Amino acid sequence: MSVLENLKENVIAGNESKVLEYTQKALDEGIDLEKILNDGFIPGMDVVGNKFQANEIYVPEMLISAKAMKAGMKILEPLLTEAGVEPIGKVVIGTVKGDLHDIGKNLVAMMLEGGGFEVIDAGVDITAQKFMDLVKENKPDILGLSALLTTTMMEMKNVIDAFKEEGLRDDIKIIVGGAPVSEDYAKDIDADGYSRDAASAVNLAKKLLGK
Amino acid sequence: MGRLLDLVNSSYSEKRRIVAPLIGFPGVKMAHSSIKLAQQNHEEHFKVVASLVDKFKPDIQFVLMDLSVEANALGLNTLFSPNESATVLKKNGAFGVKELDSLRKIEFSSDSRLLGYVKTIELMKSRFPASVKVGAYVTGPYTLAGLIIGAEEAGLMAARHPEKLEEICVFTNECIMQYTELLLSAGADAVCVLEPSGVMLGPSHFEKFSMVNVKNIVKLCHTADSDCVYHVCGNSTHLIEKMVESGVDGLSLDSKDVGVDLSEIAKNIPENIVLIGNISPSRTIVYGSPKEVREEVKALLESMDSFPNYVLSTGCDLPLETPVDNISAFMETGRNYTISV
Repeated sequence: MSVLENLKENVIAGNESKVLEYTQKALDEGIDLEKILNDGFIPGMDVVGNKFQANEIYVPEMLISAKAMKAGMKILEPLLTEAGVEPIGKVVIGTVKGDLHDIGKNLVAMMLEGGGFEVIDAGVDITAQKFMDLVKENKPDILGLSALLTTTMMEMKNVIDAFKEEGLRDDIKIIVGGAPVSEDYAKDIDADGYSRDAASAVNLAKKLLGK
Repeated sequence: MGRLLDLVNSSYSEKRRIVAPLIGFPGVKMAHSSIKLAQQNHEEHFKVVASLVDKFKPDIQFVLMDLSVEANALGLNTLFSPNESATVLKKNGAFGVKELDSLRKIEFSSDSRLLGYVKTIELMKSRFPASVKVGAYVTGPYTLAGLIIGAEEAGLMAARHPEKLEEICVFTNECIMQYTELLLSAGADAVCVLEPSGVMLGPSHFEKFSMVNVKNIVKLCHTADSDCVYHVCGNSTHLIEKMVESGVDGLSLDSKDVGVDLSEIAKNIPENIVLIGNISPSRTIVYGSPKEVREEVKALLESMDSFPNYVLSTGCDLPLETPVDNISAFMETGRNYTISV
């Protein structure tokens, strides 16, 4: 297997030390940075996403793959920035006010990174004002809102309404997700998209940006 | 043993359904209380659930759903907001043998808040009409492990060091068993094991970290002639077989919105396991109109007509903001429905 095939396979297997090893090896061999990303990391995470959607793997297996990918990307990212390689899009993501749960949001963030996006993770318990401040500051293409609780998902509407009141709604795509959230609810609150899991979130984000 | 099944079968023979929505928090408003107060004071807690029984007369009434009871009793920092259910704050730092040994030294079952829930069950059992079955909740072993070590850490540990996680889940289950014994002694007719984090696991991990442990809770419940119910939030379709294997009397399942098709599941489970669910708590009962609630309840009941082993309920717990008229619409439609087979 080539270095990049090995990199891809170890991302899929969630073998962090091997991912680090093959990332470094790829760099040492002088392989183009974008090629490492596009032929190693991204197809690896694509396979992970597809397996997850097909119920072949579950959250623990997806987590170790995402962690392995993230470890490798830590080496690659500064080099990509230095070389002026642009991410396919920029996303601000966070769990809404009143909600302290973050495993779903973290998985989506990692999958988006693995899909070639730049992700700014706002954290948990984020107010509408804080989301607006982050959007003004970072100018992302997409804002991702997460909620685990039926009570806190109501806050998603407040965030979207706040963006409308500030005249910022048309400048950004807003996607929502989380256990109690549904496609219908997303439509009701005027979100641009809903994703039922972390793997689908990547496809949704790409679709919204026409990628 | 099997009282839930007897009740369900006897209702079915009379062509009606047992109606038992997972309601707790809406009672807080009705009793002019706060969630914080009710979760910290058993008299107040009882007042809240009693207001629901007075108004809606469900066949089964549970206490307030609170996933922090056991974790809080194990000394984990817990946030009590006036009108949000208590939340265990995220654990930072590594969790190893030393930390587990420290937890073992805690006198878990003498925790005052945990005993408050036991007292609430005692009050419910002694003061509710005998026709209302009294239900208690316990946190599932994997979910409790996740609260202790962090949900993400638990997921990673499941994949990287399953033997360590198994040890933690055996410990959490020992705590849950102690709590279950107290709840059963207080008169709980049913104990529902809440395993929301379980939905993130595949069947083999679910078996290892949750189901094998829950089997022991089931045995305990059956010794006390009470029922045991498994509740997993989200689309738990891939875990049904494992949940059934635990020997529980009932499966409380989430709504169709998240992908759970109750009538399809009913075709494949034994007739002695009662399915409980699964009207959408958020889309229909919180955000819908009474008309939409009636329509969805009727459609669900019709789809379950040929299955005796079914209890009409909600897919998950209803929040504080739930419109009372929608709960009334749910109850009335359930009560007035006649099974057509």
